[in-house]
Amino acid sequence: MSFLIRQTLIYAVPLMIVALAGVFAERSGIINLALEGIMIFGAFVGVLFVRVMQQAGVFDVAKEMSNYLALQGFMCLTMLVAALLGAVFSLLLAFAAINLKADQTIGGTALNLLAPALVLFLIRIIANQNTLQMASGDAASWFMIKKAMLGIDSDTSNFFVDTFLNKVYLSTYICIIVFIVLSVILYKTRFGLRLRSCGENPQAADSLGINVVRMRYTGVVISGALAGMGGFVYALTTTNCSANGDVAGFGFLALAVMIFGNWKPLNIAGASLLFGLFKCIAASYSSIDINGDGIYGLTTIGLNANFYRLLPYVITLLVLAFTSKNSRAPKAEGVPYDKGQR
Amino acid sequence: MKKTLALLLALCMIFGLMAGCSSSSSETEETETEETVEATETEETADEAEETEEAAETEETEEVAEVASADDIADTMTSDDGTYDIAFITDVGQLKDKSFNQGTFDGVKLYAYENGLSYKYYQPANGSEATNDDRYDAMVSACENGAQVVVCAGYMQEDALTAAAIAYPDVQFIFIDGYALYDEDGNVLTNVAGIAFQEEQSGYFAGYAVVAEGYTSLGFSGGGGGTNSACCRYGYGFLQGAEAAAEALGVDVTINYSWLYGSSFQASPELQTMISGWYENGVEIVFACGGSMFDSIVAAAAENDGAVIGVDVDQSYESDTVVTSAMKGLSSATSWAIGKYFDGEWDDIGGASTSLGVNDDAVGLPTDTWSLENFSVEDYEELLAALKDGSLVVDAEYPESVAELTFDHVTINYVE
Repeated sequence: MSFLIRQTLIYAVPLMIVALAGVFAERSGIINLALEGIMIFGAFVGVLFVRVMQQAGVFDVAKEMSNYLALQGFMCLTMLVAALLGAVFSLLLAFAAINLKADQTIGGTALNLLAPALVLFLIRIIANQNTLQMASGDAASWFMIKKAMLGIDSDTSNFFVDTFLNKVYLSTYICIIVFIVLSVILYKTRFGLRLRSCGENPQAADSLGINVVRMRYTGVVISGALAGMGGFVYALTTTNCSANGDVAGFGFLALAVMIFGNWKPLNIAGASLLFGLFKCIAASYSSIDINGDGIYGLTTIGLNANFYRLLPYVITLLVLAFTSKNSRAPKAEGVPYDKGQR
Repeated sequence: MKKTLALLLALCMIFGLMAGCSSSSSETEETETEETVEATETEETADEAEETEEAAETEETEEVAEVASADDIADTMTSDDGTYDIAFITDVGQLKDKSFNQGTFDGVKLYAYENGLSYKYYQPANGSEATNDDRYDAMVSACENGAQVVVCAGYMQEDALTAAAIAYPDVQFIFIDGYALYDEDGNVLTNVAGIAFQEEQSGYFAGYAVVAEGYTSLGFSGGGGGTNSACCRYGYGFLQGAEAAAEALGVDVTINYSWLYGSSFQASPELQTMISGWYENGVEIVFACGGSMFDSIVAAAAENDGAVIGVDVDQSYESDTVVTSAMKGLSSATSWAIGKYFDGEWDDIGGASTSLGVNDDAVGLPTDTWSLENFSVEDYEELLAALKDGSLVVDAEYPESVAELTFDHVTINYVE
């Protein structure tokens, strides 16, 4: 059970945070199709940062002394760098969509095409191959939290410790906290209300003195930062901190999750957990032991393995089929803001 | 103002698109232009490329310098005339996969370095989805760039290699993990040398060693989806070795055996989750038998304080989780085969399938980085000697599916 929850979180968290990135852009009125591209870019930047710092030996002492606080700090710093450059990358979209009033779908698609090409180009220059990896060690040995680090005796074993304090990445919790904080900001603050109003009726917002251009820029930049961070978190937790110009379509999945979650944070969290859970079951159904009695329930049912691999997609289709009637996108999304239009 | 900006942005996008189309097909073009530029720029100074300078310096001072490892030799070099004597065509997976491709390329680099020859690697376009055409194109550019010997890694190159060997009869091809090839009329292609390894022996050592060490819950995660003969031999030998050691010690061993998520030899989140699940449920050590899959398996092992058996080359340098590696002497066999050509002994191997095993010192475990305690180097050498003198034979004829196999002491849990 602990295993299932941990692994589900590993799949769900990048989806969740990147879907929220989409919400921020779209709520301000800009369709951000470039989530995938920004994720790829963020993953690359994060891994490159880790690699460069390792090569410079900045955290070697901390690693040798097992100073986990410093290593976690290193990871947070990397997340910040990835977020920063993700935001910078998203400015390309903001500029095209807001200043030039370009078609946002095409702008986003262009970024999606640009990112993997650019990233692979740079990786080939840096590493002479298609994958950029850490300079030394494994993601888990550098950044993973294990219960021994927290001073918990290795014999201590209860559900809470096993699930939430052992073999987890701090990034998971940071992302969850960021997710909650930003959701509250979006719904409970003046800034959030203004941002959302720009996505519904920018002319009305403008007439009340809200700077629509600035709001939309803010929305896209927050979106880029979250997607960049999500990209690095994906690389850290699922690919042993390596970047190869690909995030397995998580950016597009996040877009789907956003629509699936009806542009609302709570629904998005639920949708990404659902998807993550089934992804996890698909990959490890034969070693999931729900109640700890040593029997792997899902193998005893006798269903074909491919059935489990179909599940995440079938479930998504089903839920979408039943809920899409009620989904409602922000009204002004995708429409360039024109002051003169009423 | 706005128009200029729009134009600029449009140009950016176009460049992005162009970069996308040309990821590797244009690689040769790129380097070609580089070469011409460098040739005109440097003429006599020749210090443009660091590696050539270094190579020249060391050669002058201490004749053929001893290099500690192939990692000290640059992956790319620039020859003066833009031609490259030895070419290397990679298999699917990465050049620096810390395993099969890298091991083979190390042999190329070492031989070229020691003999003052030029070398170049080619990665067929489209990465792990490379088609026969992509591979053929890579071989053609290798031949057009003046290669005398082309080293091709991986059995998947067979079709492309056959075509290239017919098109370029004067170029010699070394087919690593391969066999002799024939043209349409059934005539053997004498310019192709197939070099294979008896991986089952290496797998046997690994299986025997870890069970003798005390591990009783094992895993095998192989690449190629069960169609790669090298991986099949590794796995089959691994099972036999585990069985032999289990019988000697009188213990029971379980082995999770899987080809899942490995068909393209790539690391993937799914593979990592699956292997994590294995460790979570008591598997102590996993044989990571497939190129870059190593990354996912090591990540899972590091999470769960598990152990890993490396493959093809000594991988203990890559991660602390690696306790031993089932090696095949890719580097030395590649150097050896290239040497056959430059020493004028090509006829020994050309047009034939050569299978290298313990008697050629081509397979084994790494004794320099030994970390096992209950199973010592002496024990290993005893086993090695038994295999060499023939008192011990490892069966190489792997069955269609290991699910059909039954052993007395080993329970196979075939994961599909």
